[in-house]
Amino acid sequence: MSLRGYIVKRVIYIVPVMLGITLMNFTLINISPGDPVIVRLGLLKCETPECYNSAYNREAIEMGLLDNEMYTVPWFERYIDFVNDLLHFDLGRSWYNTQAGVGIPISQLISERMVYTITLNVLSFVFSLLLATAIGVVSATRQNSIWDRSLTIAMLLGYSMPLFWLAKLIMLLSYSLFNFTGVVSKDAFKTPLILNPDFYKYLILPTLALTLGGLVFMARLVRSQLLEILRQDYVTTAKAKGLDNRAVIYKHAFRNGLLPIVTIIGNSLPGLLSGSVMVESVFGWPGLGTLFLEGALFRDYPLMMATNTIFPLLFLIARLLTDITYVFIDPRIKY
Amino acid sequence: MATVDKEVETDEFLLDEKTLREIETMKGAGQWSIVWRRIKKDKMGMLGLYIVLFLIMMALVSWILLMVDNWLTNANLLLGDPNNPASLNNLYIELWYPGMDQSNPIVLFQHPRYQFADQSTLPPSWEHPFGTDRLGQDMLSRVFFGASVSLALGFIGQMTTVIIGTVLGSIAGFYGGIIDNVLQRVVEILYSMPSFILMIFIIVLFEDVQIPGGKYAVVIVFFSLIGWGGTALIIRSNFFSLKEQDFVEAERALGASDMRIIFRHILPNSLAPLIIIITLGIAGVIFTFAALAFFGFGDPNAISWGDDLNKWQNNLLDYPWMPMFPALFIFFTVLGFNLLGDALRDALDPRLKD
Repeated sequence: MSLRGYIVKRVIYIVPVMLGITLMNFTLINISPGDPVIVRLGLLKCETPECYNSAYNREAIEMGLLDNEMYTVPWFERYIDFVNDLLHFDLGRSWYNTQAGVGIPISQLISERMVYTITLNVLSFVFSLLLATAIGVVSATRQNSIWDRSLTIAMLLGYSMPLFWLAKLIMLLSYSLFNFTGVVSKDAFKTPLILNPDFYKYLILPTLALTLGGLVFMARLVRSQLLEILRQDYVTTAKAKGLDNRAVIYKHAFRNGLLPIVTIIGNSLPGLLSGSVMVESVFGWPGLGTLFLEGALFRDYPLMMATNTIFPLLFLIARLLTDITYVFIDPRIKY
Repeated sequence: MATVDKEVETDEFLLDEKTLREIETMKGAGQWSIVWRRIKKDKMGMLGLYIVLFLIMMALVSWILLMVDNWLTNANLLLGDPNNPASLNNLYIELWYPGMDQSNPIVLFQHPRYQFADQSTLPPSWEHPFGTDRLGQDMLSRVFFGASVSLALGFIGQMTTVIIGTVLGSIAGFYGGIIDNVLQRVVEILYSMPSFILMIFIIVLFEDVQIPGGKYAVVIVFFSLIGWGGTALIIRSNFFSLKEQDFVEAERALGASDMRIIFRHILPNSLAPLIIIITLGIAGVIFTFAALAFFGFGDPNAISWGDDLNKWQNNLLDYPWMPMFPALFIFFTVLGFNLLGDALRDALDPRLKD
C-alpha cells in the first residue's frame, strides 16, 4: 500500500473511534441522575410556578429533550441529532458564557481559545523534546558520572512532583525574584498577538511549567532507550571502525532509538493534554483547558460535551501525525 | 589470560564471574527471597520502601487514633458533651484507659477539625510545627490525619482498577476471538480520552448521587470503571504468550479445566507485572485524586491532602506553609511509590534494567 493510502486509512479510522467517544459522553449525560433542564434553570431566575413551567418547557424543547408536541424524544434520535450537528460544526450554545442574555455559540468560543492552547502546547512540546534529547544523550553517554547521577535524581524528583504544584512553585519563585506572578491579565491578548510583547511575557511561565512537566517524562525515556542501544553490537562495530563518539551517537544510536521514543510519546499525549489543562488553569491562560474547567465548575453541559469531543479529536490527530512520522524515521516500515 | 581463569566450565556453558556470583546469591532461595535480595541492594528502592512503610504506618495510626477518639467521645467515657463542638473532648485526640481520671486524659493532638479563630494563620512554631491555617486548624494535625484518606483513596482506586483490568484482560487473553476484539476497541476509545478530563466530566455529571462513603466513593467507582484499560492490555498480552507455553499444553493434555489453568498456572505467572502495575499505579492514582481535589472536584468536607491544598492554594504567596505541607506529603508519597515501583520492576524482571 502506498503512503497516501495508509494515511487515508488512518484518517478514516478516526471516525469510529470518535463515534465511540461521543456515544460514551452522550450515554454518561443520559444516565446521570438529575434533570439537565433543572441544572440549566439553576442559572435562570423565576418567581411564579407558571413562569418556571413555561421556562422548563421552552428549555426542554430547545435542548431537544421534548419535541414540539411535548413528547419525549428517544435517546437515539437525540444522539443522531447531536452527531448531525457536530458534522455541521454546530456545537450548540454555551449556558454559562453569555452575551446580552444569549449563550455564545460554542464553536465560536472554541475557535477563539484554540489558538492559545495550541501555541502553548506546541511550544512547550518542542522545547521539552529538544531538552529531553539533550539531557538523555548527556546522561546515557556519561553513564554513572556525576552529571548522569544528578540529572537522574532531578528527573526523578520532577517526575514525582504534581504538575499543578510545579506550576504554583514556579509562580512563587518568579514572584519572589521578579515580582511577577505570571497570572494572565487582559492586556496580554490584544490583537495582533504576534506583535504584542505582553503576550510573550505572559507566555513564558506557562510554557516553562508545561515544558518541565513533559521534560521529566521524556528524558527518562530517551536515557533508557539510548543506554539499551549503546550496548548493541553495531555500536561497538561503529566504534571499532574508528568513528568518533559524536557520529556513533547521532548517526547510529540515536536514529535507532527514535522509533520506540516516538511510540511512547504518541501514546502519552492524553497525559500531556491533561497537563495543559492543569497549567492553563493555574496561570489563568484562556485556552481550551480553562474553558473546560470553567464549564465544569458551572455545570455548562453543552460546553463540556463540546470540549470532550475536541480533546480526543486533538489527541487522535496528534497520534495520526506520530504514526506518519514513523515512516520518515524508519525506512524499513512499508505500508 | 586473567579473564579466562575466572570462567568455569560447566556441562554446556561458559559462565563469567558476574553470573557465577549471581548464581551464588540465588542458590537455594525461592523466587520472592531472590527479589527481596535484589531490592535490598537497590539503595533508591530501599529509600522508597522506607517512605512507603512510614506513610502506611502514619495512615494506619491516624485512622486508629481517630476511631478510638470517636468511640471515647460517643461512649461518654470522657467528660464533656459529644454534641457540642466546643467541648473539650471534641477539640483534642485523647487516649484514656479504665481507671484514669475522666476529666484529665492524655492529650495527644489537636483534633483536625479543631478551629480557633484567634489561632489562625500562625507561622510554624513549637506549638504548631506546621503552622495553622486560616480557620485556626493545626496543619500538622490536618496533614497527619489526612494521610489515611489520601492513601486509602490511592490503594482502593488502584486495587479496583487492577481487579477489573485483570478479570477482563484474562478473559480476552485466554479466549481471544470476538471478546478480545471488543475489549481492544473499548480500550482504544477509553485511551483516546485524557482520563483527567473524563474524570472531571463524570464527577460534574454525577455530583448529586448519594451513596454511602460520600463523594469520593462515586469518584472511585467511576475511576475504576474507566481506568482498567492499561492493566487489561498487559495481562492480555501476558496470557497470549503464556497459553502457548509447553507447561500449559501439558496441563491441558492431563485434562485440566480452563479455570484450573487460569488460576493455578497462568495467573501466578502474571504476578510480577501485576505487582509492578499496582505499585507504580498507586502513585498515579494518588496524583490524579490530588489533582481532582486541587481543581475543586474533591470533597471539601473530607480531611485529605488534596482538599487542603485546594483550600489554601491561593495563600501560597502570603502564607506559604498552608499549602506547602500537604503538597510536600503528596510529593513524598508519589516519590516513594515511584522509587519502590522502579526497584520492584528491576528486581522482578532484571532484563528490563538499564
